[in-house]
Amino acid sequence: MNPVTSLILRQMRAPLIVIVAVFSTATLGMVLIPGVDDQGQVWHMDFFHALYFVSFTATTIGFGEIPYPLTDAQRLWALITIFFSVIGWFYALTKIVSLIQTPMFKKAVIHSNFKHSLNQIHQNFYLICGFGETGSDLVEGLANKEIRCVVIDSSHRAIEYLEVQNYLSFVPGLEADAENPKQLAYAGLSHPLCKGVIAVTNSDECNLKIAITSKLLHPHTTVICRTEHKDFEDNMKSFNTDHTVNPYDTFSNSFAMALKSSALHLLNEWLTGVPDTNLDDPIVFKDGHWILCGYGRLGQRIYKVLKQHNHSVTIIDTTAELKTRFHAERPADTTEFIIGTGTDAKALRQAGIEHAVGLVAGSDNDSNNLSAIMTAQMLNEDLIIVARQNEMINRELFYASNAEIIMHPSEIVARRIRTLLTNPLLIDYLDECFKQSNDWINITISKLSGAISEVKPHCWTIELSKKESPAMYKTLTRGRKVKLSDIVKSPIQRNHKICCLPLMVVRNDERILSPEDDFLLATNDKLLFCGISQAEHHIAHCMHDIHSLNYIMSLKNAPDSLLARYIKGFTKHKRRNND
Amino acid sequence: MNLEKVIFSFFMILALTLNFGFFYGDVHNPDHHNIYELYAVIVINLIATILKFGDRSQLGAMLLATSLVANVQLISAAIVWAVAAHMQETGVTTATMATIVSLSGGAVLANIISVILLVLEASIIRR
Repeated sequence: MNPVTSLILRQMRAPLIVIVAVFSTATLGMVLIPGVDDQGQVWHMDFFHALYFVSFTATTIGFGEIPYPLTDAQRLWALITIFFSVIGWFYALTKIVSLIQTPMFKKAVIHSNFKHSLNQIHQNFYLICGFGETGSDLVEGLANKEIRCVVIDSSHRAIEYLEVQNYLSFVPGLEADAENPKQLAYAGLSHPLCKGVIAVTNSDECNLKIAITSKLLHPHTTVICRTEHKDFEDNMKSFNTDHTVNPYDTFSNSFAMALKSSALHLLNEWLTGVPDTNLDDPIVFKDGHWILCGYGRLGQRIYKVLKQHNHSVTIIDTTAELKTRFHAERPADTTEFIIGTGTDAKALRQAGIEHAVGLVAGSDNDSNNLSAIMTAQMLNEDLIIVARQNEMINRELFYASNAEIIMHPSEIVARRIRTLLTNPLLIDYLDECFKQSNDWINITISKLSGAISEVKPHCWTIELSKKESPAMYKTLTRGRKVKLSDIVKSPIQRNHKICCLPLMVVRNDERILSPEDDFLLATNDKLLFCGISQAEHHIAHCMHDIHSLNYIMSLKNAPDSLLARYIKGFTKHKRRNND
Repeated sequence: MNLEKVIFSFFMILALTLNFGFFYGDVHNPDHHNIYELYAVIVINLIATILKFGDRSQLGAMLLATSLVANVQLISAAIVWAVAAHMQETGVTTATMATIVSLSGGAVLANIISVILLVLEASIIRR
């Protein structure tokens, strides 16, 4: 039985018994007390009429004294009936109302609704633990791509916030503690369609617990964790957590890309950014002196990257302890370490702001970062500024600060996980790009800007498997040679090339970058494309529909109906016999 | 001793005994079957049913089901009586009486099953 119904029934026992008792006593009284009919004869109400009388009296409908006017004795009994039955009704009603208002009942209703909406999901979904900045950003990206998600968060406000969001697909949310294995299983971990668990809560410890629970209870689910500390990351990897995402590592990697080549940075931003938003402008990095405000988790990583590219660096940080440790770890390093916040002109001047090329405002305090940026810009207008944004609400301030690169940990994690889930090939592609020469990257970016319009492109993967692209698979298994240029045509007008660019083909773990137009496709190839969203729909359509595919490949339409196929087979057979 | 259990068992057994009392006697003879007794059976049965509400165990579900069956049987008997007495000119004939009594006989059977389940439950708990 549904727990809500069961709860109501159990609570309603006493009121219902009161009503039955009042009704039965009243009816019995009306039957026993003698009345007088219109002839003046002694008359006893029978059970049928007594129940009728009591029913309309007790429910305050009151049809009157029927069939005959009541005697005084009957009226006295009717009076008692009215008071007691009305009290009975009110008692039952107040009991129901108070039951509905109890937190226990509300919780039972919420859980029952959640369970219902979980049962309504008939496709694979991801369980997202934590609906903070990262979680909401991630859910928005996934739900709007029609990838189903379920959210679990211990905060009431987070779930309330989720409920008022308008996503393309419905996202059920449960207010529960994700660290509790029972609650996590209830929230969807033990659901057969749960494809993966994504732990993006604020605390690494909580994420670790979620990863352990998921891997122990369901070893085959994909687990992706956000983590900010190395020891937790190693711990998670020790029991086969599929992916760990560290915002500082991810950012320092993309910063390394930016230092290597501004085209590579642009490529990264365009392909992994939110599609259909404005394109970023290229940033030109000059060799020279960098100032690093804040030597925390981000600062330390950026320092390494800058040193690898042979830039001179001055560090500014408030903690003297960090300074002693820094010098103890690197005795040979002559990098200057200044104690201070970096928000005042004095410390910045001491760090050599006038001849610096770049400033990294990387502390965990947004006000300090913004203040450092503003002071630095006043002292040197040509600085390249890398800013760390810690809170979502300060987004506008950082945009207004004219910082070239804004590093927002939540956004970086959300973006990375979204790419991991929707398009894992893209990450491989960018890794490959990192290994290529600057010339190759420049050619790629110019090809890309030729293929796309003025907004960031969509990236998508096509697998030429039987399940994902049935029409293409059939064509290829028949031995037809299909060139890459054959499929990038519009199924509406095949002479029109559609706006997209094939980035990479993966065949048996071999990665072929920037495949040529006459590249011959084979079954089970994976193709990574980027382009406008219309192109994605066109290609996906042709991969599924044999007629559209035949049309764009300028092939004759094959007969489709059973009869037509039979006739065609018959005529072919006959012709062969005649020959 | 658990007072709740006493009340619960009391109503269930009372429902059975009253039901049997009404059922016992010549099937056709209206004199053998008292209308007040039928009335009491219905009221007691209703209370017994309500007492079984909201029990999520398998046995609880069975007990509720048997009580609901008894209620359906008894209320049908009462409706037959009311229809015969007030809406038909012939009044309560011996044939109608036989129908009423046989319907209540079905309810007796359902109530017996109820009590057997009750006894079974009691025998499982050795306290």
